Amino acid sequence: MSDFGMSGDELEQMYQEVILEASKHPHGRESFAPNAAEESSGEAAANTTVRATHEYCTPGESHQFNPTCGDEATVHVEVSDDEPHTIKRLVWDGHGCSISQASLSVMVDLVDGKTVDEAMHLEQVFHQLMESRGAGLQNESLEDELGDAVVFQGVSKYPMRIKCALLGWEGLKDSVAKALAAKN
Amino acid sequence: MVDFKAIRDEFPILDQEIHGHPLVYLDSAATSQKPECVIDAEANFYRTINAGVHRGAHELAARSTVAFEEARAKVAKLVGANAAEGEEEIVVTGGATAGLNLLATAFGNASLGRGEEAAKRFALKPGDEIVVSRAEHHSVLLPFQELAYRTGATFKWIDLTEDGRVRTDNLEEVITDRTKVVAVTHVGNTTGAITNVAPIIKRAHEVGAVFILDACQSVPHLKVDFHALDVDFAAWSAHKMYGPTGVGFLYGKREMLEALPPANFGGSMVELAYMDHEAQYMAPPARFEAGTQPVAQVVAAGVAAEWMMNIGMENIEAHEKTISAELLKLGDINGIRILGPRENVDRIGTVAFDVKGVHPHDVGQFIDAQGIAIRVGHHCAQPVHRHFGLYASNRASSGVYNSVADAQALVEAAKGIRPFFGAE
Repeated sequence: MSDFGMSGDELEQMYQEVILEASKHPHGRESFAPNAAEESSGEAAANTTVRATHEYCTPGESHQFNPTCGDEATVHVEVSDDEPHTIKRLVWDGHGCSISQASLSVMVDLVDGKTVDEAMHLEQVFHQLMESRGAGLQNESLEDELGDAVVFQGVSKYPMRIKCALLGWEGLKDSVAKALAAKN
Repeated sequence: MVDFKAIRDEFPILDQEIHGHPLVYLDSAATSQKPECVIDAEANFYRTINAGVHRGAHELAARSTVAFEEARAKVAKLVGANAAEGEEEIVVTGGATAGLNLLATAFGNASLGRGEEAAKRFALKPGDEIVVSRAEHHSVLLPFQELAYRTGATFKWIDLTEDGRVRTDNLEEVITDRTKVVAVTHVGNTTGAITNVAPIIKRAHEVGAVFILDACQSVPHLKVDFHALDVDFAAWSAHKMYGPTGVGFLYGKREMLEALPPANFGGSMVELAYMDHEAQYMAPPARFEAGTQPVAQVVAAGVAAEWMMNIGMENIEAHEKTISAELLKLGDINGIRILGPRENVDRIGTVAFDVKGVHPHDVGQFIDAQGIAIRVGHHCAQPVHRHFGLYASNRASSGVYNSVADAQALVEAAKGIRPFFGAE
C-alpha cells in the first residue's frame, strides 16, 4: 500500500526553502481579481480584468480554482503580436497554500519573456515532473531547464498536493491559448 | 464509570502508526471509526442470513427481514422515535444527504399536486418561504435552495452571531406567516455549536411551517429525543455514529410520513401498479424505501445504535466534553483563532480553527506528518466560512474513542505550525 503522508524529514523535503520563501514573498503577483471567500465574488468576477500595458500585445486571462481548498489564481498574460509570439507580461492574482503560491512565483520567474513555444514546452516538462510520483524527471538537461521549479519534485509524491503545484501552470496554458485565439 | 480506554480498544483501526507516530484520529465529524462489533455485524450478515427483505418466502428472507426491522427499532430507540409495526417513524435512506433530498423532492412533488389531500401542507408556490440558517452544511442548503428555485418560493436564512451560533433573537422577522419550511442544523458541522433549536421549532410551528432538523452532528454525540424536541423531520447518517457508510435515516412524525408523497419510485414501495392508471403506494416507511435496501449496513447501524446506548449517550457526551475543553486550548496559541464558540458550553468536540498566515492545506500536511488526522477545507459549509471571512479552515473533531491525550497531542503539534512556515 502506498503511503501518501510523510515523516518529519519528508516534511522538510517537501517544504524546501525556495517554496517557503516564494510563498511568503510572491513574484508577479498583482491585485486585480476577486476572492471566492467573499459573498459577492460571483458578480465581482465579471467585472475584473487587467488592462494590457503593451499596445502591441494581446492579453489573455484565465481564472483557476480548486474548490476543495479554495485556492484561486487568475493568470494574466500578454503575448506579442509579432512572431515568434513572446510572453511580454505575466502577472497573477490569487491566494492559496504555500505550494500553489510558490509554484506561481517560480513560474513567473521561469517563463516571463520567453517565447510562447518555450513556455509551453516548460509547462509540459513541469507537468511531467509533477506526474513522476517523487521520482523526478531523471533527465539532467530537462531538470536544468526547469531551474528552481525542480524543487516541486518532493510535492509530486503527494497526489493531494499535485493540483496545488499545477494551478498556476494550468492558468498559464489557458490564458496563452486565449491570447493566441484572440489574435485571429 | 465507563472505561473509555477499553472502548478505544474496540476500534482496530486506531491501533496503528502513521508516519512513525501512533495514529490520533480527530476527524470524526467527517466520518467516525467503527468498533469491532459493527464490523462483525456487517460481515456476519453476509456469512449467515444475507437475503432480500420484505420479499420472498424462504427462511433466509424471513431472517434478514427480521434483522432489518430490529435494526430500525434500535435506531428508533436511540432517537426516541416509534418503531411498532404500523407506527414506524424511521425511514432507511442512503445517507443524510439522500434523506434531505428525499424530503425536498417529496415537497416538490407535493407542490406539483402529487400525493393525497394531506400532502398539500408540503406544497410550495411563489410567495411562500423556505428558511434555513447560515450554519447549514451544503446538504441542507442546496436541496432546499433548489426546491425554492423549482417552486418559485423565496429562500431565506437565519444569520449567525459573531461566534458562529444560529441567532434566535430575530426569529419573528425571518420566520413569517408565509414560511412553509424551516430546516436548521442541530449542531454546526464547522463550529461545533449546539443550536438553540427550541425557539426556532416553536416559531416554525406557530406559523404552521414544517420543521426539519439536520441531526448528523448531534446524534453521535448527544442524547437526542425527536419527540421531546417536537421536530417534524430529522435526517442523519449512520457512518458518523460508528456505523457503516452508505446508509442514513430519516425521522418523520408518523402523521408527517403518512401525509408525505413518495420521492423515489420502484420496487417494494407500491401496493398496486397498473398500466392504465396511477399506482397505489404503500404506507410509510416502505413508501420511501424503493429498491433493494443496504440490509447488511442497516443491520450493522442497528448494532452501532445499541452499542452507543449501552455506553449511554450521557456518558459519551460527558466524555467528549473533556476533549472539547482540551481542543479549545488551540485558541490560546498565538495566531490561532477558533471559529465557533470559545467557551466549552453548548458545543461538541468539533473545533474549527484558522492559523494566521498558514493555509489549511499546509496546516493539514504539517499535522498529518505527526500522525494526527484532522480535516482541512471548507467542510461542505462555504457560507459559514464566509461568515468568518475565510474560504477554508482546519477542523479537529472528537469521537467516543478519543482521549484528552489525543487533544493534547494536537495542541502541542499546532504550536509548531506558524514557526515552521515562518508565518508573520
